[in-house]
Amino acid sequence: MSVIDEVTRELSRLPGIGPRTATRLVYHLMREPGERSRRLSAAIRELADRIHPCPRCGTYTELELCRICADRARDRTTLCVVESAFEVHSIEKTGEFRGLFHVLGGRLSPLDGIGPDELNVASLLERIGEPDAEIAEIILATNPSVEGEATAVYLEGVLRPLGVRVTRLARGLPMGSDLEYVDGSTLAEALSGRREM
Amino acid sequence: MLTQLRLSGFRNLADARLDLPAEGVALVGANAQGKTNLLEAIYYLEIFRSFRGTRDSRIIRFGEDVFRVEGHLEHGADRQVIAAAYQRSGSLKKVTVEGVEPATLGAAIGGVGAVLFTPEDVRIVSDGPEERRRFLDIMLSLNLPGYLEALQKYRQALSQRNAVLRDGGEAAAVRAWDALLARLGGEISHRRVRWVEERGSEFRSVFSEASGGEEATVSYQPGSVDEPPPGEAGSEAWGDAMAEKLDRQFESDRRRGTTQSGPHRDELRMHLTGSGGSDASSEPRDLRHFGSGGQRRTAALTLRILEARTVAERRGRPPLLLLDDLFAELDADRSRRVVELLDRTAAGQVILTAPKQSDLHFRADRLVRWNIHDGRVDRGPSPNPETP
Ligand SMILES: [Zn+2]
Repeated sequence: MSVIDEVTRELSRLPGIGPRTATRLVYHLMREPGERSRRLSAAIRELADRIHPCPRCGTYTELELCRICADRARDRTTLCVVESAFEVHSIEKTGEFRGLFHVLGGRLSPLDGIGPDELNVASLLERIGEPDAEIAEIILATNPSVEGEATAVYLEGVLRPLGVRVTRLARGLPMGSDLEYVDGSTLAEALSGRREM
Repeated sequence: MLTQLRLSGFRNLADARLDLPAEGVALVGANAQGKTNLLEAIYYLEIFRSFRGTRDSRIIRFGEDVFRVEGHLEHGADRQVIAAAYQRSGSLKKVTVEGVEPATLGAAIGGVGAVLFTPEDVRIVSDGPEERRRFLDIMLSLNLPGYLEALQKYRQALSQRNAVLRDGGEAAAVRAWDALLARLGGEISHRRVRWVEERGSEFRSVFSEASGGEEATVSYQPGSVDEPPPGEAGSEAWGDAMAEKLDRQFESDRRRGTTQSGPHRDELRMHLTGSGGSDASSEPRDLRHFGSGGQRRTAALTLRILEARTVAERRGRPPLLLLDDLFAELDADRSRRVVELLDRTAAGQVILTAPKQSDLHFRADRLVRWNIHDGRVDRGPSPNPETP
């Protein structure tokens, strides 16, 4: 396989990039000065070498503990549970939320072989059960899709007996939309108007 | 009203630009010349797939890479162009309304406002319950906002729950789907019930008129709940009843590895109620099992007429009627009565097909006649006043 084919194949594995776009990107890169491609590949390499999930919340970081978990000024009584680290990024951008996060790493989807054991549920329960834990409210911010809703219902079932307050993001969000695609102000509104489960 | 239809690469039909008269057309041609394909092309713009269940790639004419259908619609001062195309290479499907791609196909369905009658309709009555549920689901998706979305989500949640049941997952992982299933299932059953109840008396009268005095009823039998909520109950009450049943069947569902209750187990029932026949008893008899061929066809036709009335009421204008060889299987008396009924139901545009000119019973004197041969439409002269 030629180098061109190899890079094209790797790029086309990325979400939203089909073979046609991948080919266009490769030809674009080849036209550019070689220094740019070298910089890009070095940066991607750094991503692979230095970034890891935060051992507490699961969001990506290059520090031992992520910036949010390490920040003593954050509100340690509220914990926002999201499907993926990308949603941490979306919610952080709104600037409306001052609590901590927990990344599930997906959502329930038995059809794809994803059950509770495949998600970071055990680590969530551990966090709540720690002797110095201050968590009083858990906001379930899974997506309002069929799978996201079921995941929230499941979590509510396992969290409720622990005596914490469990709330769900208010439905200002259009049904079925991924948090990923929701604009910042809609998200901020949803955060302020969350409802009791 | 469909004023123009543009076709390319669609089955055996020659590429064409057809202007349709306001009254409609009668399409005459022998079998396999393309009559039904033309109706299929028009109805494709209503549901964006083949009503025969053919895959898009197989609709494309042999040797071509793309098919495209475009319809120009006019409702009063309102004009709209709906187009659909499919490309084999790359499996690309594109639907546009006024040149704009809708957010989802679901948002664009029902734009033509057509009701299709085909000889296959008899299967709604004679085949298994899934055919009757399919009839209700398609009709309600086209006419009630939100129905299709609820249905899609219900099916998704149902297959997810069944997957956990199959894998023998923990109880909590099964129950995670129940709330959604009950809420969406409640909405679906409730809307189906409402339609059947609203149209029940019309079913009686239309069936009676079309059959020349025979009696039949239609009813909805929910397998999704044990005790149907009272008539005026909303979808929430249905959801609660469904949640109860899911709960009660939980252990049994786990043992059997599948969800046993829900709108996917509901049934639309039709019964003959007259004391007709040699049997003196007037016990209701299930039309599916005890109806004659003619009675089943009449019942299917009755459902389509109710669908046409639903479209007329929902959209505030008569539907475009697509009648595929409607009179092929009906005797002369039934045909005459059906024609009278249709004439009263739809004062709108009609496109009907028949193998021979002598089979044109409906508006034969008023419709422009087109002949179709080997996929080519030959636009004939205007209606001939001498034709009987
Ligand atoms: Zn962290």
